[in-house]
Parts: sequence; C-alpha cells; structure tokens
Amino acid sequence: MQTFLQYTILGLALGGAYFIAASGLVVTYTTSGIFNFAQGAIAMLAVFTYWQFRWGWGWPAPLALLMVLGILAPLLGAVLYQVVMKNLRGTSEVTKIIVSIGVMLGLQALATWVWNPTSSTPRQFQKFFGPKAFAHVGSLTIPWHIIISFAIAIAIAFGIRFLFVRTRSGVAMRAVVDDPELLQLNGGRPERLAMISWAGGSFLAALAGILIQPMIGSAMSAGALTLLVIDAFAAAMFGRLRSLPRTFMGALVIGLTTTYVVAYFPSKWTWSSAFHNSLPMIFLFIVLLVLPQDRLRGATVLRLRERFRMPSIRTAWIAGLTMMIVVFCLKVIMAKTGVNTLTLALTFAIIALSLVLLTGFAGEINLAALSFGAIAVMVVYHFGISGTGAGARTTLWGILLAAVVTALVGALIALPALRLRGLYLALATMAFGVFVSRMVLTERNERELFGWKFTIFTAGQLTIPRPKIGPIDFNGQDAFLFLCAGLFVVIGIGMVYLRHSGYGRRLTAMKDSPAASATLGMSVIRLKLSIFMMSAAIAGIGGVMMAAQVGTVNADRFDIFLSLALMMITVVGGIGYVSGALFAGIFLIAFIEALNLLLKKFAVDYSTLEAIFMFFVSAVTVLPATIGITMGKNPSGAVSDIVDGMNLVKQSKSLMITVIGLEAAIWVLTATEVITNWNFVILTLANLILVPMIGGKILMARAMRGVPKPVPPEFIGIDRPFTDEDLAAMDQALNLDGVVIPSSTTVREEPANASA
Amino acid sequence: MPLLETIGVKVRFGGNIALDDVSISVEAGSVTGLIGPNGAGKTTLFNTITGLQPLTGGQIIFNDKDVTKEPPHKRTRMGLARTFQRLELFTTLSVRDNVRVAGEIRNRWSLRTPKMDVNAETDRIISLVGLGDVADREVGEIPTGKARVVELARALMIQPTLVLLDEPASGQTEEETEQFGQLLRDLAGEGLGICLVEHDMALVMQVCQTIHVLDFGRMIASGTAESVRNNPTVIDAYLGAPESVG
Repeated sequence: MQTFLQYTILGLALGGAYFIAASGLVVTYTTSGIFNFAQGAIAMLAVFTYWQFRWGWGWPAPLALLMVLGILAPLLGAVLYQVVMKNLRGTSEVTKIIVSIGVMLGLQALATWVWNPTSSTPRQFQKFFGPKAFAHVGSLTIPWHIIISFAIAIAIAFGIRFLFVRTRSGVAMRAVVDDPELLQLNGGRPERLAMISWAGGSFLAALAGILIQPMIGSAMSAGALTLLVIDAFAAAMFGRLRSLPRTFMGALVIGLTTTYVVAYFPSKWTWSSAFHNSLPMIFLFIVLLVLPQDRLRGATVLRLRERFRMPSIRTAWIAGLTMMIVVFCLKVIMAKTGVNTLTLALTFAIIALSLVLLTGFAGEINLAALSFGAIAVMVVYHFGISGTGAGARTTLWGILLAAVVTALVGALIALPALRLRGLYLALATMAFGVFVSRMVLTERNERELFGWKFTIFTAGQLTIPRPKIGPIDFNGQDAFLFLCAGLFVVIGIGMVYLRHSGYGRRLTAMKDSPAASATLGMSVIRLKLSIFMMSAAIAGIGGVMMAAQVGTVNADRFDIFLSLALMMITVVGGIGYVSGALFAGIFLIAFIEALNLLLKKFAVDYSTLEAIFMFFVSAVTVLPATIGITMGKNPSGAVSDIVDGMNLVKQSKSLMITVIGLEAAIWVLTATEVITNWNFVILTLANLILVPMIGGKILMARAMRGVPKPVPPEFIGIDRPFTDEDLAAMDQALNLDGVVIPSSTTVREEPANASA
Repeated sequence: MPLLETIGVKVRFGGNIALDDVSISVEAGSVTGLIGPNGAGKTTLFNTITGLQPLTGGQIIFNDKDVTKEPPHKRTRMGLARTFQRLELFTTLSVRDNVRVAGEIRNRWSLRTPKMDVNAETDRIISLVGLGDVADREVGEIPTGKARVVELARALMIQPTLVLLDEPASGQTEEETEQFGQLLRDLAGEGLGICLVEHDMALVMQVCQTIHVLDFGRMIASGTAESVRNNPTVIDAYLGAPESVG
C-alpha cells in the first residue's frame, strides 16, 4: 500500500509535467494551426540553459528561473513565431510540419554544439529544494519537487481554461485559427495574438522540461529531452489537440502507467525498461485507434503556394540515362572513399524516393522512413542471406521478402491513422520510429516463442552482405555503386510512369481534394493504404542497400533524427520530384561530409585560422535545419528553382553548349589529374548554377530590349495611355463585344487631358 | 416514389441550428430547385445528403434506401453525385484530366463495377457540356464560370442518377447560363434527377419543376415554380418585390 501510494504520487507529478508540455502544444496549435514538433527541443534548450545558470555559473535558483522562464523561453517562442512560423499561412500541412521539424533539429544541433555531450563530467540536474527535501504527509515522505510539479500543473490547467473561456484575448486567440481575416475585420490582431501564444507555449515547454528532468533522474541528454514532444503529444491526443481537461486526463494516465511499470514489473523481465520507454508511443497508437474518424470538409482546397510540374516520361528516361553516365564519369575520377560516400548517398536517395512517392504524390507523411528500413534489414538478416563469412550474399528473394514484410508493417502502422488528418499519420509514424529505436533495436536477448528461439537485433549490430542477383555478384564497390544508381533510376522512372497512370491521377485527385474524391466514390482509405505500403516497401529496399553499403549497422543508423533530417531535406530539394530525392541523398550524405572534410582540411592547412574553421565545422551541423526552416519562404523546394534554371538552358542552344562544354573540360582536367577533385566539385557547382543564372540574365536582358515594361491593368491610362488593344481586351472581359462606344481616340486622349 | 428524400433533417453547430426539420424530395427526370438567402443552409443540406456533414437528427433516403449512416463514397456509388459551391477541383490536373480521373475513380469502385471506356466517355462528356475549347488547359487558369462546368462534367462522368448542383451558374456569363439551362433540361429529359441551388432566379424559374425555399435553416415554402414565385413569405424572405425577380 505504501509503495502504491508513493508511486501514485510520483505518477501524478510526472503526469502533471507531461500535461504542462502538452498544454503548450494545444495552445500553439489552436492559435496558429501549427503543430510544434520543436516543443520538446525548446524544453531541452531550457533545461540546458537553466543548468548553465544554476550549476554551471552557480546562480541562485530564483534568478535562474526568472531568466529562463520569464525572459528567454517566451522570447524564443515569440522570435520563432515572428521569424519562422508567421510565413507558414497558406502553405500545406507538409511544409508546416517540415519547418517545425527544422526548428527542432536546429535547436538540437545547437545544444550539442554548445554543450558538448562527450564532455567528461556528466551534467546533473537536481530537484527543487535539493534531493533531500521531503515533506511528510501522514506516513508518506514525498519530495518537495513532486508536490510542486503537481501543484503547478493544476494551476496551469485552471489558468489556461480561464484564459480561453473567460478573457477577451483568450476567445480572440481561439478565433485566430478559425478565421484570422474575420478576426482582423472585427478589430482583433491575429498576428500579435499568435505571437503571444507562441511565447506562452514556449514558456510551458521550458517549465515542463525543468520539472521533468530531475524526475527522469539520468544525466541530461539533448536527444531524449527533445523526444519529450512525443510523450506530450500522446497526452494532447487524448484531447484531440483541443480539449484541455481530456489532455489533463491523458497526461495523468501516461504518467501513472509509466511509474507503475517501473514499480511492479518484475526486474527479471529484460524488456521492461524498453517497454517503459516506449509506453507513450503505445498509448499514442491506442488513442489513434479509438479517435473517431475525421470529417471530410469541403472547401479545403486553398491555392497552395507549392507547385510541382510533372516531367514527361521522355524527360524521365533522358534524366535516368544522364544520371547513369554522370555516375560513371564521377567513378572514374573519384578516390575509393569518394565512391563509398557516393554509394551511401544513393542508398539514402532511394529511401528518399519513398518519401517523394508518399508525400509528393499523395500528400501523406512518413517521418520514420529509416525505421522501415530497419525492419527490412532485420528481415534480410534473418531470412535473406545465403553463404557464410566472406562468401555471404544477400539474395534477391531476401530483398523481395523484406519489401513485402515492410509493406505489411507499414499497413499496420498506417491503418489507424489513415482515417485521420495527415498530421496524425505523421505523428503515428514518428511514434513508430521511436518505438522501433527503443523497443525493437534494443532487443539483444534471445527469446523463445512457441519453441522457436530467436534474437531480433543480435548483439546490437547486424551484418548485411552485398547482394548477388542471379549470376551477377554485386560484391565489388563499383558494381554495387552501379546497382544502387540503377535501382534509383529504375524506381524513379517507375514513379514517373505511375504518376502518368490512372492510379497516379487518382492519387493527385485525393491530394488536391479529398472531399471531391470521396463524392466521386473514391475509397480514400484504400488508396492511402496502398500508396503507404508501396512507399514503405521502397524505404525497406533502400534501407537494405544502405546496410549493405555500410556493412555492419547498429541502431544509430536508423535513428529517428536521421529520418527527420532526410524528410526535411527531401522537402527542401522538392518533395514533388524524383530529383528531389536525389538532392536529399547527395546533400545529406555527400555534401555535408564533403563540406566537413573541406573545412577540416582548411583548419589543418591554415592553422592560424583553425578556430574559425572549426567554428564552421560546428555550424555545418546546424546547416540542414537552417535550410529546412527557410522552407516557409520557398515551399516548392530547391529543385524547382534549379529546374527553372535548367529550362533556360534547354531553351537556349548556346547556353546549353556552353554548360556542357565547360563541364566536359572540367572533367577532362580532373581525369588527367591537372586539377584536384576538390576543384572539380567547386568548378562543377559554379558551372551548373552560376552559368545558367548569369547566362539567363543576359538572355533575358537581350530579349527584353525594346519590350516596354508591363503596366498593371489598374495603372493603364495613368502610367501610359489606353490603346485599342486595351479596349478590345476590356470589351472581351466585360462581354461588351458589339456594344457601341465613343470612338477610341477620344477615350485615349482623356487621361492626357486630365493630367494637363 | 421520389429518388431522394430528406426526412426531418436537423443539423446543429454548437448552439447554432443550421437545419431544422427540413424535408425535401427530388424526383428522377426533373429539376428541383433549392433557393433561399445566403446562410439559409442550402450547402449544409447538400453536405448532409452527400455524407460530408453528420446529422443531428432526421433521415436521408436515396433510391428507397436509408443512407443516413453511409460514408460519402458509398452514397456516390449508389448514383449520387454533386458539385461544390466553393470549387473543389483537382487544381494540379488539366480540365480533361479532371474529368477523366472521375471515370477512373468510377472504374475502381469495386471489382464488379462494369468498366467504362474512360477516354471515349471523357470526350463525350466534354463535348456535351461544351468544354472542348479549354479541355487541355490547367484548371486553375480558366474562368470561374467554366470551372463550374468542369465540376458538372466531373459529376456526370460517374453516370449518376442524381446530381446536386451547388450554384453552378454563378460566374457564368448570360450566354453561358442560357446554354447551361438548356443542358440541364436535356439531362433531366434523359431521366437524370437534378437538385439545383442557385441565386439566378431567371434560371431557376426556367428549369425547375419544383422549388423548395429555405430560410434560417427552415423550409418556408415548397411547390411549383409559379406558386413559390407568388408566395408572400418567400417574397418577404428572399425574392423581394415581384418586379425585381430576374
């Protein structure tokens, strides 16, 4: 009984802290319509900052609290809204999710940069009033910290409820999401309100972090605290991201169950700690299962800012062929490590293809592509390898089986969430990713089920050999490089074919207007399920290739943060394009790696400037996130811009000859070792990006010479006189053909008279 | 037996009653009008009929079956199609593909659905509604009046027995509306049931055999075009003095 009460109180306090984090999510979501994936990361940053003030610099607790909770956290929230989130109105759900994930990854990289996780002394965080301060209630001794946590949670619950229901600004905040323009017409200031709510949400995140960290008790870890967002959204999901009382209930249930598992599960159950860590994910799934189906709403079609042009099948074949040639040319001039990096980049590009298929074509989101890769890798490891030692090869049947199993697992994960909005599927996949990392990839003990003995993730690492398909052995690095390139091209071209088929059009229809699709008799769930399974299978195949390239993979290779970064960079590249996936693989693996090496090389070469170069090495870790955050400004992605540039090249023969000629010259110089590979990379980038840009400007200027600047219609007659064409255009627009009007000359002269 | 019947349909948004005890019926082979001022609940009624809006009370009977609990796509598969007032076109597809994909969706309803020749049917419908001149343009580029016709063409592709048209003529020129009215009469002549929400009274009076009038979520009148036009309650609530009736 004593234990039960003790753990109940602990569970209530933990639940209280979860609620505080969850309420922050609900507040920002209801006022800005953006689900803040960075909520956990903000909590994490606050914990580290508080640690720095309190124990790093030895400030007194009230001062440190005032600084973090009173000033820095709200400021961060307000700045995030003003600089980043404000730009997201009118963008798709994908862009909104990606940008807040960018913020999350950015804050995390920042924290690892400032507070080096490999530092010798682990950072410890203490409870309020110290670890020894207890209150005595009856026969129970309860830490003060616990009492404080629960009391604050209740105070906040009532505070927010009061704010939203009873105060003018609270009601106005709820109005912001429903119709910001209408609110503005009624004298509200939606932008300011949303900013305040972001400041509040950030404050709540920080508070939750500072309360939770000492309850977890372990050393501070940026990754673990960032994933706190999952525990919070599991709680918020109880209230469908709306109802605070139900969120409160959800948070308490999660808090209590978590502590009871610690208290009552026998310690000999080797999986109970992993189970305890995965509980919020399991809760999330259960909640998704019981949530009622979303209503299809009419008039959801906004003119989104994202625009993707579909390449023709001919273009796809040409691009595929070109890519194979380019890969070959690169292989000739590259060192062995270069070939390794390029192959790895291509395997990631294949995984990214699964994202293009799912998100670009169907508008659904998978945040855990690599976790599906992990499933496939486990299948191949157990069932898809023939031979042993150096002669071991992955079989074709193994890869196909892995794809099928991954598709089925995908179906299982997606099914509960498919009835709901895209955001819920994104959350479900992210929870699945963390679940795989915490529960499946930690399974190193031998288990026995129905007399069959097996170990899921043997020794914490799996060795996957290169494949042998039919008579062709892809064990050599070059052969494997071409296999991966070929696989990318085949899947990519297949996807373009798919996009041009009836199935592809049905996907587009579903993405453009679910309501219209349903009223044409489409079973939206069936279609979503099929595309999700297909996408999961591709992710699985890509994952197997990735593992085969690396050789021996451990759990870190399938980390959720890597999945998130890949998704984000694919969106940056252009989620609607096959080439967006290529961009993602190359950028995330090869470009970042190359940039790192280059900067480190500079740091060695110019030792006086070492500090500056090493600073940039750290800055590179924040780079992908920074680029992700800029998505709000250009939601169609970088490839879209590059395509625009390339179109210019296509239209102008002289420009095309210049670019191809220059590139061939650069390649010959590198192949004959006149210039180094580094110079090749730099010159190539300059050639492909700068030449079309400058050439385009020149061509444009030439074409525009003699053509007057277009005048907006409302300024015709003011900036320049009316012409007969203007009148004809106006007549046509107004359906006045044949209506007798005064002669055009008098009309034309009127503005001149007026100005005279 | 009418093709479609709503029996005492009631919809409540929080404290707002959007529809209160609305009972209308639509016959096969005729055009039924549904009129009333903005906010009267016309689109909400369409949403309840197609299943996009759950009911607070009442029943929807279509083809002699109670479909009140059926999801939207199942109702469509029984022969119910609609257009949207706030256009729900597939904005990244061309006009032709918007129409074609509807046929492709139809062919995938179930394994037992008799397959149609989608390309031939697309061509037929496009020329039937007169979209030939814009067929290969992006749907976002064409004028609203035309875009509404695309919505109709898309609905016709699934070979429905009943279409609900939500303000199909707004944004159309006078000439286009005239052709449109003729098209509706032709379609009804072939046996299609049509329910028309429209503010263009000339069009409504011209093509509708029966008219239901909604105001603040209630049915205030229902009957032939002639009787509704002269109904004092309707004139008061919506039409205004008889002279102004277009």
